[in-house]
Amino acid sequence: MRGARSTSVVAGASALLLAAAAALAADAEPVIQHEVVIKAGRIEPARIEVPAGRKLRLALRNEGPGPAEFENLDLRIEKVLAPGAASFVVIHPLRPGSYRFVDEFHPETAAMVIVAK
Amino acid sequence: MLNTLVVVWRESLEAMLVVGILLGWIGRQADPAPLRRGLWAGVAAGVALALLLGVATFAAQSQMQGQALELFQLAMVLLAVVLVSEMVFWMHRHGRAMKRELEARAAQRASVLGIAAIAAIAVAREGTETAIFLYGIVAEAAGASLAGLLAAALAGFALAALTAAVVARGARWISYRAVFAASEAALLLIGAALLAHAIDRLIGLDWLPPGIDPLWDSSALLDDSRGAGRLLADFTGYRARPCATLVAGLALYWAYVAVRLRAGSGANAPVPRGANPEVAP
Repeated sequence: MRGARSTSVVAGASALLLAAAAALAADAEPVIQHEVVIKAGRIEPARIEVPAGRKLRLALRNEGPGPAEFENLDLRIEKVLAPGAASFVVIHPLRPGSYRFVDEFHPETAAMVIVAK
Repeated sequence: MLNTLVVVWRESLEAMLVVGILLGWIGRQADPAPLRRGLWAGVAAGVALALLLGVATFAAQSQMQGQALELFQLAMVLLAVVLVSEMVFWMHRHGRAMKRELEARAAQRASVLGIAAIAAIAVAREGTETAIFLYGIVAEAAGASLAGLLAAALAGFALAALTAAVVARGARWISYRAVFAASEAALLLIGAALLAHAIDRLIGLDWLPPGIDPLWDSSALLDDSRGAGRLLADFTGYRARPCATLVAGLALYWAYVAVRLRAGSGANAPVPRGANPEVAP
């Protein structure tokens, strides 16, 4: 069957691609960690400075009272957190610049900036 | 208040558009009743699943539980990509020419299930976030502001339903062929958007490396975080600054779609005179 064969070709190609990508990712520099707390419609800290070109790991915690959606559309990060819930998000090496995160459920008050230098 | 309306509208629009497109397509079938029942059963199942997932999100307090839930949602999105694209390949093969009734009936049983599953996942995926968001409104607001916010949420729903109804109605005014082509294209684009979303999530979990990031930057031309660019991002997988992994993933998706669509139309197309059937692979 033509469809089946082309399916396996595509599947094979994607497997190769994944393997290559995984190999590239293996060079591990220690990941920079930061804690972020969302509380009463605010994100803390309001500003985090990080070196550019390094991988970040943000540990997120929502202390409520309501749910929150930690989000930066530019970096395609969206994380829904129930009150009391903890989660994390990995941010891949950033170019120098500032990146604004909001709680989409409280966009007027809750914002945080990551500055990469 | 406006934020509430916009969030609810955007969150429910995709699910309602999927339903609208499927309704438009079903309306053109020879025997639409069972298909329509399957669709609404899927929608009902999707609402139930959304509520269940919403409750699970609140119950999942630890990082590990949260991750398990996220993986479930990720699996749901990937399953949706497969189902939606398979549905389109199926529509492509059978939708145009269900001539013999027997053939149509056998094909229809499978398509009722497929339609129900697609509707259920679309509603569950989008509905979960809407349910959590609405819960937050109820939990945080009080009195007069609560009423206003709930009204805004209802308006958001209504607006999304209206948008989808326009799509379904619009399907009546255009030709058969255009309906099929348009619904196939729209579903494939939604499949691409879902895949892009899944890849973003996998990268955020650090399960996939981004590769060169970004591969290009078209945000000056069309910003994907607001307006038309954001709609394109939500419904086609457009990214203003895509990473290499995302571009490769979408390229594979479209290559696969092209191959399958060609294979599908090849099976039905009459053999041109003078063509040698041995040559076809």
